[in-house]
Amino acid sequence: MIKPLISRESYAARVWRKTLDGVGVKVGLAWIALLVFAAVFAPFLANSMPLLMSKDGVISAPVLQYLSVEDAWVLATFFVALMVYRLQLGAGKRVLLFLLGAFVAAVLVNWVVKPPVLVIYDDFRTTAYTQVDWRIMPPIPYAPTDYLRDLVSKGLEAPLVTVGHTHLMGTEESGADVLSRMIHACRISLSIGLIASGIALFIGVIVGGLMGYFSGIVDMLGMRLVEIFEDIPTLFLLLTFVAFFGRSLYMMMVIIGITGWSGYARYVRQEFLKLRKQDYVQAAVASGLPLSSILFRHMLPNGIAPLLVAVSFGVAGAILSEATLSFLGLGVVDAPSWGQMLDQAVKSSTFNWWMAVFPGGAIFMTVFAYNLIGEAFRDAIDPKLASKAGHS
Amino acid sequence: MSQPLLEVRNLRTYLQSGGREVRAVDDVSFCIPKGETFCLVGESGSGKSVSALSVICLLPQGIASHPGGEILFNGRDLLKLDDPGIRAIRGSQIAMIFQEPMTSLNPVMTIGEQITEALYTHHPDMSESEAQQRTIMALEQVQMPHASGRFHDYPHQLSGGQRQRVMIAMALACEPQLLIADEPTTALDVTVQAEILRLMRKLQDDTGMSMLFITHDFGVVAQMAQWVGVMQQGKLVESGSCADVLHNPQHAYTRQLLAALPENLVKPVGVRQLSENVAVGQTKNQTPLLQIRDLKVWFPIKKGLLRRTVDYVRAVDDVSLDILPGQIVALVGESGCGKTTLGRAVLQLEPPTSGSIQLQGQELIGLSARTLRPLRRKMQIAFQDPQSSLNPRLLVETTLTEPMKVHGIGANHDERIELASQLLESVQLDRDFLWRYPHEFSGGQRQRIGLARALALNPEFIVCDEITSALDVSVQAEILQLLLTIRQQRNLTLLFITHNIGVVEYLSDQTVVMYQGKIVERGATAQVCGHPQHPYTQKLLAAVPKLLV
Amino acid sequence: MLTYLLRRLLLMIPTLLGISIVVFTVMALSPGGITPQALTSGMEMKPEQRKAIEDYYNKRYGLDKPAPVQYLHWLNNVSPIGFISDEQGNRGEFSFNKPMDLGTSFQYGRPVSDILAERIPITLLLNLVTIPVIYLIAIFVGMKSATDRGGSFDVGMGMSMLALWSIPTMLAGVLLLGFFANIQHFQWFPTSGISSREALDMPFLPHWGQTGFVRGFLLDRVWHLVLPVICLSYGGFAALAKLMRTSILENLHSDYARTARAKGLSEHDVLWRHVFRNSLLPLITISAGLLPSLLAGSLIVEYIFSINGMGQLAVEAVKSRDRELVLSITWVSGLLTLIGYLMADFCYTLADPRVSYD
Repeated sequence: MIKPLISRESYAARVWRKTLDGVGVKVGLAWIALLVFAAVFAPFLANSMPLLMSKDGVISAPVLQYLSVEDAWVLATFFVALMVYRLQLGAGKRVLLFLLGAFVAAVLVNWVVKPPVLVIYDDFRTTAYTQVDWRIMPPIPYAPTDYLRDLVSKGLEAPLVTVGHTHLMGTEESGADVLSRMIHACRISLSIGLIASGIALFIGVIVGGLMGYFSGIVDMLGMRLVEIFEDIPTLFLLLTFVAFFGRSLYMMMVIIGITGWSGYARYVRQEFLKLRKQDYVQAAVASGLPLSSILFRHMLPNGIAPLLVAVSFGVAGAILSEATLSFLGLGVVDAPSWGQMLDQAVKSSTFNWWMAVFPGGAIFMTVFAYNLIGEAFRDAIDPKLASKAGHS
Repeated sequence: MSQPLLEVRNLRTYLQSGGREVRAVDDVSFCIPKGETFCLVGESGSGKSVSALSVICLLPQGIASHPGGEILFNGRDLLKLDDPGIRAIRGSQIAMIFQEPMTSLNPVMTIGEQITEALYTHHPDMSESEAQQRTIMALEQVQMPHASGRFHDYPHQLSGGQRQRVMIAMALACEPQLLIADEPTTALDVTVQAEILRLMRKLQDDTGMSMLFITHDFGVVAQMAQWVGVMQQGKLVESGSCADVLHNPQHAYTRQLLAALPENLVKPVGVRQLSENVAVGQTKNQTPLLQIRDLKVWFPIKKGLLRRTVDYVRAVDDVSLDILPGQIVALVGESGCGKTTLGRAVLQLEPPTSGSIQLQGQELIGLSARTLRPLRRKMQIAFQDPQSSLNPRLLVETTLTEPMKVHGIGANHDERIELASQLLESVQLDRDFLWRYPHEFSGGQRQRIGLARALALNPEFIVCDEITSALDVSVQAEILQLLLTIRQQRNLTLLFITHNIGVVEYLSDQTVVMYQGKIVERGATAQVCGHPQHPYTQKLLAAVPKLLV
Repeated sequence: MLTYLLRRLLLMIPTLLGISIVVFTVMALSPGGITPQALTSGMEMKPEQRKAIEDYYNKRYGLDKPAPVQYLHWLNNVSPIGFISDEQGNRGEFSFNKPMDLGTSFQYGRPVSDILAERIPITLLLNLVTIPVIYLIAIFVGMKSATDRGGSFDVGMGMSMLALWSIPTMLAGVLLLGFFANIQHFQWFPTSGISSREALDMPFLPHWGQTGFVRGFLLDRVWHLVLPVICLSYGGFAALAKLMRTSILENLHSDYARTARAKGLSEHDVLWRHVFRNSLLPLITISAGLLPSLLAGSLIVEYIFSINGMGQLAVEAVKSRDRELVLSITWVSGLLTLIGYLMADFCYTLADPRVSYD
């Protein structure tokens, strides 16, 4: 067996290295990492119940008892992702393995985790839970849907103003702690961003790929379809969908995904047409290579880089769409959302600045982070677009 | 001897590139007398263009610096002039024309405006009517048909040759004493090039201006210059009168360059035999390897409200051709004649509109992809552009072994790797190169890998689509010699597409000349190139700048 | 040229049809659909009352018929070519020149065309004022950045523009409103609407009256528009400034700029006489995509600043499931977008002589 000698830097490694070369990208990635951390570990970061407590010598972890199916699945998927990341496999295989792992985790979790149906947060502040040997509380001792009724919270109070219980970012109109809601809202934003973009990408790649491959009539019809979805200002279409189809989380993901695919389709089609003319693709055809190889080995890896740039901006856009809908009052019901909190800033006659700065700041930072990453990636793959001084 | 118009003494130009300093021009000295032409020759990266840009001080200030040397123009050192000073000279006393006529003119301004601008810059008091008159005169001087009507045309409405004429008119508008020409004809067809060069010589005779002519083509040097300088990696290795340098080169590099020209190139040992054998074989009636009959490749032009097809671009128009086994057939023509389309149509990479292509008696047109696949083993293609001919994501090993795997060559992976290593050796590359990515190789090396890929399936017939057109002369020489060696070893048949007549004469047994989609002349190379019959072939051959004037 | 325009206009028709079909399908497919039950649910009524109202809706708007029929009905009403129908929905004769009836709004009980006629001009005003603002600022900032490449202005602007572009419109609107239009902080600008009530009586131009300085209608409008226009425009000029900068830098290094320098032109002349016009071309191309995003943005801005434009109307219509209104608004915004594309294309042909349409 001839051992491969020093494997020089592959194209992907080179692009990745160039992308990471800059302050902006690192800031962006750091913020996203923070969000992911908050999203995955939210129940442990902000909750009204103790993480661990010992009562009369019996150690119990109420947080684990009350962990919902969703919480457990997110945690499981996170660890699956970590494991897959460490494995040394090709990118395609890793993605498939991850999806498989996520699916298996979903089934398992559904089967195993059975939290109590009703949660009364006020209970956790009664003696049953306070008069104990010791207890460890989460850093932010409020759950997102804990409206602090027992504490007679007035709602919409500025940070650090209330007496007796500290709210680092104030409270919102129904009395719940803002910081807690913001941490839990990470999950909504990130999941909507990723899944909605995923759906849009999926539809866009298929439509764009078909258009690029078949040309002719298929191309013409496809372009008309793309134009239709492009011409309706997305927000209008979103509004229409949401108002008529309801506002559950999954519905929102699907809706944002369905309205956003047209950009990807155009991109894919353009790349397809460009790649088809490349000499190495022609050589592959001339060598009689099978279609699957031409598509997946020669065309796809070379066309994917610009697509990933679009995805980065697309995720930012999806998060923004969700926030906008929540802001207009058409967002996900009951679950915490940055947009919905932002709306509360100007509802009453006074300007509740903390409701604007904190959730608004979070939206801004997230969008900014994805934009920075997208920009850096774009500069890395196309040196002609590099806007740094001295590079030309 | 009177004072030379331009005297360059010990010029140094250093460029900043990616954090490093490159000595683009390293201690170069030459001079240009009044009314005469000096040619700077060299391969890519030799520093000839940078020298030219240094003389007219057009290099971007942040990147270029001149640590030493003087450029004396009429006795004044240009490097010491301040900005307004040099601007007064640029365009009025020293003018420059560039290589790419397509992009060198502003697309949103009419050519008339662009020429009058040159006039106004140096004669701000000129009246509009006078400027217009002088512009039209300049256009007539460069033999632009319908000069007065062209004043309001935009650059995109002109052909490449016409644009270059406009560039020359613009440069000459203020009657400069020195014209710097940076490869002005490299991007043009041979016949157009001949006209432009003739024009430039005439203008020089009429106006008495000097010329600094940058080129890589020795034939052009022989036609245009009295003096020549050869550059290699920033240094001027040899200079002198044209006759001396071209016929009696002193420096090893000059000799090497001249020997690499296709006219002077020696065939590899043992190869000469074969061409004679092939010539003999032709007289016996062999069955052709490839038989093309009445091939048409037409592209529809759609216009109008309903996008109806109003006309066709007749890329290949009724072409019939026989290629016998073992031959090297050169397909020559200028840009747009259809030679590339023909080559690709033969390989079924371009769908033919009608006609027949038979490979060893088997009809190729109309076959399904599956039936075509085993036949594809017999015919392969190598491309022109080293940048895009290899998949940048794949190791060389994968590029070479994948086709083998698909066609069942080699029993297992190890065997295929061994075969791939042998392929690399046959194109004179190191075995280790299997484990590298394309971006790590030079242009010449990539072309060799492209040839190796074409050979991977052990074909009988290879189409070489201008494989040396993007390479330097010395690299081209190596590739051509390699091609002949391989041809001999594997008994290949080649269809070599090119626009370079020198290569045709060196390489091929048969020559086919194409013009506007049709074959206008064909026959043995010696016959076609020695005694052309068709007027177009005659014009084409006459236009090639020859070394021996 | 004429054939090109004609062809584009003809191609717009299937796209518009497509848009209306998509929207109609969304509404029809939704749970609850567009039946009268959805409109009367939640209201406390006696069964007979409910039935009477439902019957009325059915009759009036034809809601009891299947969706495709309803769509055709609507299409017939909207197009200038079709069957003339009267109040009862009976079909009359076929005509090529019948009035276009966009229907009547459930929510307001008024003809949709009237409502739109009131609201569209306001949205258009907002957007049409924003577009020049965007371009002027973008061109200025882009030019300065490109000529100052690598300098402090350039680097500073680069970062700020990207950050600016990332600020969500709603956040900007909320912050602007909260800080600059509020009694708590600086009340420099009004909180809502595009004109004060007094302004309707004022003469057009500002002048000095008996009671002192009178704003005048024009200035009052401007004063009201300042914050909304800032809110709507910053995203646009952030993106366009970057584009302008890239475009100018590319053109400064182009071959034709080199030729101009070889002719002896100064850098200043090269920039203004040659590079500038070529650099504007990508900006014109992108203006096509600007209008849809502006329309979407004005939705949020109108909501925050309580401006009675089409965007605000859309939000309300959608919340109350007002079928006629939703269809018409979506359709009209699609039409405006397509017209925007067409105009952008047209402007491009004027600017770039290389482009010819036939």
